Amino acid sequence: MASGGNGRSSGRFLPPDPRVVEPYRLTPKLALRLAILGAITLGVFVVLFLRLWALQVLSGDQYLRAAQNNQLRTIRVEAPRGVIRDRKGRILVGNTAGIAVKLWPADLPEKGRYQMLKRLGKVLEVPAPQIAREVDKRAHDPLNPVVVKENVSRAEFFYLSERQDEFPGMRLVKSNVRDYPYGTMAAHVLGHVGEVTEPQLKQRAYSGLVAGDKVGQAGVEAAFDRYLRGAPGLDRLRVDSLGQPRGDILPLKVATPGNDVELTIDADLQFAAERALQHGIQIARNSECYGCWNANGGAIVAMDARNGEVLAMASSPTFDPRVFVGKPNPWRLKPLLDSKSAERRNFPGLDRALAGVYPAGSTFKPVTALAALEDYRVSPYEALPCTPSYTYVGENGVPYLFKNWNPYVNTAITMPIALAWSCDTYFYELGVRFYKLRSSPLQQWAKTFGFGAPTGIELGPEAPGLIPTPEWRRRYFKDGIEKLWKPGDSIELTIGQGEMTVTPLQLARFYAMIANGGRLVTPHVFKDVTNPSGVSIVPRPTQPTPKKIDVSASALQVVREGLFRATHDPDGTSTAIFSSFPVEIAGKTGTAEKWSSEYNRYFDQAWWCGYGPNDAPEIVVCALIENGGHGGTSAAPAAREVLASYFHVRPDEVGVVSSSETD
Amino acid sequence: MAVDYAGARRRTTRVRRLEEGAEAFARRFDWILFGSVVALVAYGIHLVAGITRDDVPGSPDYYVIRQAIYAAVGGVGMLGVSLIDPDYYRRYWRQLYAVSLLLLLLVIPLGTEARGSQRWIGIGSVTFQPSELGKLLVVLGVAGFLAERARRLGEVKTVLGTIGLVAVPALLVFIQPDIGTSLVYGAALVAMLFIAGARWLHLGVILFIVAFTGALVVWLLPSAGVDVLEPYQRDRLTAFVNRTHDPQGASYNVQQSILAIGAGGVRGRGVENATQTNLDYLPEHATDFAFASLAEQRGFIGAAILLLLYLLVVWRGLRVVTYASDPYSAIAAGGIVFALMFQVFVNVGMTMGIAPVTGIPLPFVSVGGSSLVTNLLAVGVLQAIHARGRRR
Repeated sequence: MASGGNGRSSGRFLPPDPRVVEPYRLTPKLALRLAILGAITLGVFVVLFLRLWALQVLSGDQYLRAAQNNQLRTIRVEAPRGVIRDRKGRILVGNTAGIAVKLWPADLPEKGRYQMLKRLGKVLEVPAPQIAREVDKRAHDPLNPVVVKENVSRAEFFYLSERQDEFPGMRLVKSNVRDYPYGTMAAHVLGHVGEVTEPQLKQRAYSGLVAGDKVGQAGVEAAFDRYLRGAPGLDRLRVDSLGQPRGDILPLKVATPGNDVELTIDADLQFAAERALQHGIQIARNSECYGCWNANGGAIVAMDARNGEVLAMASSPTFDPRVFVGKPNPWRLKPLLDSKSAERRNFPGLDRALAGVYPAGSTFKPVTALAALEDYRVSPYEALPCTPSYTYVGENGVPYLFKNWNPYVNTAITMPIALAWSCDTYFYELGVRFYKLRSSPLQQWAKTFGFGAPTGIELGPEAPGLIPTPEWRRRYFKDGIEKLWKPGDSIELTIGQGEMTVTPLQLARFYAMIANGGRLVTPHVFKDVTNPSGVSIVPRPTQPTPKKIDVSASALQVVREGLFRATHDPDGTSTAIFSSFPVEIAGKTGTAEKWSSEYNRYFDQAWWCGYGPNDAPEIVVCALIENGGHGGTSAAPAAREVLASYFHVRPDEVGVVSSSETD
Repeated sequence: MAVDYAGARRRTTRVRRLEEGAEAFARRFDWILFGSVVALVAYGIHLVAGITRDDVPGSPDYYVIRQAIYAAVGGVGMLGVSLIDPDYYRRYWRQLYAVSLLLLLLVIPLGTEARGSQRWIGIGSVTFQPSELGKLLVVLGVAGFLAERARRLGEVKTVLGTIGLVAVPALLVFIQPDIGTSLVYGAALVAMLFIAGARWLHLGVILFIVAFTGALVVWLLPSAGVDVLEPYQRDRLTAFVNRTHDPQGASYNVQQSILAIGAGGVRGRGVENATQTNLDYLPEHATDFAFASLAEQRGFIGAAILLLLYLLVVWRGLRVVTYASDPYSAIAAGGIVFALMFQVFVNVGMTMGIAPVTGIPLPFVSVGGSSLVTNLLAVGVLQAIHARGRRR
């Protein structure tokens, strides 16, 4: 068999096969065709060689670079945010190390992507559609990670790190998360950090940021974000085609930590203010006043009367700032974002100190007093009747009756006594005198004292409040009769009622002006900014300078006397609270009627604003208890607790703690 | 004594005849073809060792050992086949053809599916890809048909019959689906008609129809709403034309492949530093994209050595055609050689972005037993044809 078949087939007795027997020759035709095949083969190999040459020899370097970049991912390294301290250097907001779960959309699997996100969402308790939405949003920018959750728990961390293979494109990254050593304290002031929003990315202040970066979104965090933020660093990481890291991280640029911000807030006083606020609410609830069962919120502002440094600013109800830490859980955020849900919990996200608007009530009377004195509507010692009610007879002869809160008085009093007693009819008379003028001097002065406009504190958004004027009425109302400015409008404004509204911060600022002799301060919380090694980096002066108000010292003196008498005269509205206080305190109660549509009647909002020490005021305190009844009932005791903390007064020095049933 | 003498004489005669036969066989054996194929296989195993080093964690030699075993099996098969008179194939071409159809039909009920395609039959722990062996069987079978009708090649009937004979197995492969291999069948068909001496007119019409059908399947019918191809197949074919169509999708493989080849440069990045391969950017780097992987690791020099070895094998193959002693041998050899050349071109061209992406393995190199063994058997057939070729 091995020795060839040619001879063998001819050796058998088979009929001759014409196809085989005929000798097969390399005909010219076959030779031509073989030559063509050979040429094709040669051509094919020439093409392959040329292409190979072009790729490897001519542009090899370029492809080498591309291949090297192919497997390198540049990762932004989050800079630790600056720390927020109080005026004594205590850390209000710090950082702790957390583990963040991030997804690189470019490395996610094409098939089974949603199933993977679903599994991940289940592990981390983040809704999968939310993750998918954010991943889709990042489709045009697949190299920037999507943060699924920051600060995962230990159990979640271990679970995921053991199963990295099951989650291609997911990486566990070290991250800094905000830490609040004082818990919920000063939550409204401090604000929170969140992912930069799309509208923000378009703004100049946020240039250089990319989606997923964290910026301050409220309060101090937002106001001083430019100091706190720092600059992210860059790391290089080799990844395989599934996005799993291979090898070591190469640092390209070290992250610059943010600078620390020091606030004017005093943590002790802040703590006292928040406790006092709860105390005031509790007093109100325990009292038997109508509607006080509904006492459920309030605000306290404590400020340095001389320069406007806010020492404490409390608002209740409050929230736990930790709900914002990392990737917020939408369910826990609901009361802060969703209006319906917020209403049920009485708007915990609202900073009542600067965005809550209330009628000022009797705490507005010093404004009326100063305006009347400065406009020469009354002399300081002109005695006006203090009676159970005040009747105003209009031009058409119809009498209008305005009640005094105290139906048992019938005497003529001067301005300091009117302030001490908070006599309404005295101020009604001033209101009528104002009404008779074409101009609106009371409103002018109120405006000069900073009402009806934001105070300019760094935090926000602030509510401007409202000081109604005849012009405002004309513009605001549609109805014919409502458009008219009536005597009652002037009369009600004198005692801080009617359409007027103020914020606690505006009132505190005004009382600070009385206390410091006519300088209108700008409330602020910013004290200093230091780099991480503790060196101040802001050129001084940084504090806003108070504005000198053109109000006479004698007029201020009259009002100050009235406020001192209000806390020390036998008939003073908060004498029961402050007469035995070791430091001389002057201040005014307020009981502002606010319409409740729920109960279809007016509820009293309790106010107290004042300052101390009386001869050289340092601190001004304004307290507001929503539905707290009379100012002396709940607001004054709350304010006293703040003052006690400021002046280091021990509880046994405070004397009798009882509320006074006065306005 | 006489018996003993006779027995001894007979034995010596047989020994002498064997010795003479072996001598004649050795003389008529194409040692250059043999040497270049051995070099190709050995070089291929060497390349696979580098390519698949990280593919099976813990056992870097997994594919090398398998591939060496297949090479040994294929080598024995090649030597065995080179002893078989090709005339047997001519006589029994119908049976060979029937076996190829049977094997391809068996895939439909018995085949195992992998990566969306049903191509393999499992025999014990070994999987076997009938479409690979089918290539050789169909060429040997159809060459017999053409040799029978050598005098009537000018007739349209013969040409159409040939086309029909190839179309049936090609279609069976196409529906697996495995476009690449069915294209190889087509290439072998054209080459065999060409070598057999079909008329230029007929060849021209065939080429025109091929081009027209290609355009129809890829562009015209889908735009009319009729999808002959699976979407991924069309994407891969059009991605070759329209490279930037979808960087993460169909053309992703080709882009990564070009990147890998280019990054290899002149000297290659070495086994350790070939990141495109080692970090799995290069898909299917042990099979379809093996060329890209080896070009990244070994550079222009390493890849050029491989291409030159292919050129050598193809050249020796074409030379075998010229020595064929009968039309059957010439046609069969032409089909085998052209199919091999076609596979090399389409596979290497695909990795360099000058041919459409079809799942054709790189002959003698890609990991996979069926392909390697079949190619070695085909070389064995070439050797047999050469050994029984005309006296020179």
